[in-house]
Amino acid sequence: MKKTEEMNAETVELMNKYPKEARYSLAILQDMQRKFNCIPKESLSLIAEHLGIPLSRLYSMATFYKALSLKPKGEVIVKVCDGTACHIRSSLVIIEEMRKILNIGPGETTEDGRFSLDTVNCLGSCAIAPVITVNEKYYGKVTPVMLREILTGYGGGSDVR
Amino acid sequence: MSGNGGKTVLVCCGTGCIANGSLEILSALRERAAKAEGIDVKPLIKSTGCNGFCENGPIVKIVPDQISYYRVKRSDADEIFDRTLLGGEAVDRLLHVDPATGKRVRSQMENEFYSRQTKLALRNIGEVDPADIDDYIARDGYKAFAKALLHMKPGDVIAEIEKSGLRGRGGAGFPTGRKWKQCASYDSFPKYVVCNGDEGDPGAFMDRSIMEGDPNTIIEGMLICAYATGSSSGFIYIRDEYALAVKNFTCAIEKARERGFLGGNILGSGFDFDIQVVRGGGAFVCGESTALMASIEGRVGEPRAKYIRSVEKGLWGKPTVLNNVETWANVPLIIMNGADWFRTIGTERSPGTKVFSLVGKIRNTGLVEVPMGITIRELVSNIGGGVPGNRNFKAVQTGGPSGGCIPESMLDLEVDFDTLTEAGSMMGSGGMIVMDDRTCMVDVARYYIGFLSEESCGKCVPCREGLRRMGEILNDICAGKGREGDMEMLEKICETVSEASLCGLGKSAPNPVMSTLKHFRDEYLSHINGKRCPAGVCRELTSYFIDPEACVGCGLCRKKCPADAITGSLKSIHSIDTQKCIKCGNCMDVCRLKAVKVR
Amino acid sequence: MNITIDGKICEAEPGELLLAVAARNGIHIPTLCHSDALAGLASCRLCIVDVNEKGWHRTVTSCVYPVKAGIEVETATERIVEMRRTILMLLSARAPDSDVINDFKRRYSVPDVERFSGDAKEKCILCGLCVKACEGVGPCAISTVGRGITKKVATPFDEPSGVCTGCGSCARTCPTGAIEMVEDGATRTIWHRKHDLLKCRICGEPYITWMEMKYLSRRLGVKKLDLVCKKCRRESLAEKMMEASEHVRPL
Repeated sequence: MKKTEEMNAETVELMNKYPKEARYSLAILQDMQRKFNCIPKESLSLIAEHLGIPLSRLYSMATFYKALSLKPKGEVIVKVCDGTACHIRSSLVIIEEMRKILNIGPGETTEDGRFSLDTVNCLGSCAIAPVITVNEKYYGKVTPVMLREILTGYGGGSDVR
Repeated sequence: MSGNGGKTVLVCCGTGCIANGSLEILSALRERAAKAEGIDVKPLIKSTGCNGFCENGPIVKIVPDQISYYRVKRSDADEIFDRTLLGGEAVDRLLHVDPATGKRVRSQMENEFYSRQTKLALRNIGEVDPADIDDYIARDGYKAFAKALLHMKPGDVIAEIEKSGLRGRGGAGFPTGRKWKQCASYDSFPKYVVCNGDEGDPGAFMDRSIMEGDPNTIIEGMLICAYATGSSSGFIYIRDEYALAVKNFTCAIEKARERGFLGGNILGSGFDFDIQVVRGGGAFVCGESTALMASIEGRVGEPRAKYIRSVEKGLWGKPTVLNNVETWANVPLIIMNGADWFRTIGTERSPGTKVFSLVGKIRNTGLVEVPMGITIRELVSNIGGGVPGNRNFKAVQTGGPSGGCIPESMLDLEVDFDTLTEAGSMMGSGGMIVMDDRTCMVDVARYYIGFLSEESCGKCVPCREGLRRMGEILNDICAGKGREGDMEMLEKICETVSEASLCGLGKSAPNPVMSTLKHFRDEYLSHINGKRCPAGVCRELTSYFIDPEACVGCGLCRKKCPADAITGSLKSIHSIDTQKCIKCGNCMDVCRLKAVKVR
Repeated sequence: MNITIDGKICEAEPGELLLAVAARNGIHIPTLCHSDALAGLASCRLCIVDVNEKGWHRTVTSCVYPVKAGIEVETATERIVEMRRTILMLLSARAPDSDVINDFKRRYSVPDVERFSGDAKEKCILCGLCVKACEGVGPCAISTVGRGITKKVATPFDEPSGVCTGCGSCARTCPTGAIEMVEDGATRTIWHRKHDLLKCRICGEPYITWMEMKYLSRRLGVKKLDLVCKKCRRESLAEKMMEASEHVRPL
């Protein structure tokens, strides 16, 4: 994690890309999420002050929209699609396998901060269900064996049992 | 053109094909072309949006030869270039095989998946490079808008849309012309035009493919509406997960501005209009129109009561027209070809076509556009190719979390807005999820309630607390803890949730539960009284075993078992160790003789 | 213009809220999340009624429904009452020990449903009144957090709020008494913070927090608020009115 001063400076830079209006709060928060992999607490206060809106309202937004997270996500973000098509093609088996390999469930991050797991509702690639993305890269027709291989490629797998 | 014989290669770069490596094919083709002499690379090899036949991607097409290749690999690129582009002959192994005749067919139109389709909203997708506005213009792009702006009065434009009978394709089926007319009638400015690109139904990706593959048709539709209703400001709200759609749409807006189709004094007429892209934040409820507008305003996506319609007071309390992506895609065609033409397609109450995403347990998964009035049987069996493997059709789930299940007995229903609603489901945005006998309908209901429990905004009591308790009951039932009276309690809660909820999400949330209770009641009873899941899905209620009468000892199940739970030597009866079994169901899926059964 | 409620003809202005029209005509519709001081939230759904608009029936929440000429309203059809009972059943499952809800249950003969379990300490029904109150008269110290079935009301990060004035408007507006406010004579504790109470300059009773005093001064545009408690203010006003009316002779 970066130092607070550095993050604050980057936050200000980000905020200034938009007009100073409350309606851009979601856009600013999302840019922040993409930059820091989370919404740091300090940044939330900075944005609230900058836009002139109450902190509680921004906090409400940060907890309402699932694209935003207040806790840092892992370096490697695994998203398992649990859309209906993937669900009936056994996405739950993949989610269970993630728990076996990395000991995390949906919404959780490994202790060392390396991996995060999220379930998402439909990535729009239903033909190759079950689908996962690893840091936005798509993998289709995933089996437990394939999952192990993919994760080993990112440095977490058979050795983390 | 210099030395490429007027040929173009179209490589499908919709998200599905990209996942299967189409970008690598694109660059491999471009590399090969760069090495060839006397060839102008750029016009030759283009990337397009989704072709719809996603089960068989990556798809590569050559025009004007009308050759379509499927399941292309990077290693095929050189051969395609040398043999087809330069040599003029087809690479047989990459052609589609007609399942009826067993013969290979060259063109897309000979492919039975496409031949029954009528492409209106999807007319350009797979044929144009979405980043190239000239491709769009070459196919009559922006002509409808010019016609409206320069030769029609705003009132005439609205009248034409009304006459066409176009209804909102997002699911509600509200008459589009009436919506525009109402908005135009209010003397309150500024007015807004919004595109709902927050396609959230799991299993639905129609809107994604239009936004990615032909953003200009949406821009043109919105321009026509803006002119007709007196708006100068538009928004497109794109779901956060659709990164490629955001990219392609943003690019299309920039190009449209450069050409003078967006901005000030468009085509010298004094009419101004521009569109802003707004990214969603990962909330299904933001597909609801008032929640979407709250989100654009920078607030949480909580819906409001719609006693005052958005056409009167929408964004920032001003008259707003909000329409779905597919609805916008139809508008330019109606203005270009006329309402009477549009009415010749589809049914009396639902003119035009509908784009469906056919997914799940079906051979040909992908996107199809067909005239309204087609039967579900035609969609599933003929275009979709039926259920794969040796499994049996069980149901089609239409309308996503707001819809219901259509069992086999209702397959001859004609698809349009009203017929399906009258049958207890709804057409919804077009997601069609095919389910076979290995799908547990109680689990499907449980899945949707779980989904909605997280996605509900949580503001009103019936939806929030109703979903909570329905989820508890369904989870119990699937875990073997169902009680007597559970089905009645579910029905009781469903009634209140559907009548008393604040918004459409809550009001339609009970649909999957109600329709599965209606058509698959015996499955519920089996779970509650028999403590058994006939489909072999609910873990606590499933115990797999191999029928010694049916097993021939082929060993396929043993090979596919991820838990090493099956023992048996070749040609002798196999058996499952229930202690090791993780109940993934692979064995049941692969056994051709259906020897693996559920107790 | 006229509308009909439960068979009674009632006069109303177009766009007036149905609940208000009904109340004015002596027709009682149950509510939980309604407050005369705040705009309608329509979250509890208890005030649902059946509206017949030119033959088209709708179930609407009367607290936010703007009336139109000629509508016929029925506030307690069998269907409506049954739905109210289901809503109360769901509320009771959430907050089983709430007096207010148990009271409603008795009135509507809603049985206990042992199938559902709830936290006996829970009183919050997430109506949203507290948040609205703080928005209206306070610094927006609290908000709804999350969504769906895990939604709740809290201060940011569940930490003591930097801006909460301790005025207690939220606690007073809450229909079920879900917000904990503890006073011991000298202090008031609410939302994880203890505030010292300032004394009324007339009677000497502690009644207002320092932060609330500062907040009100700022909003009223005065340099320093005159510290007089509600009781003393009313008495002082009554005295002034008596003085003023001394010169008025009876007819």
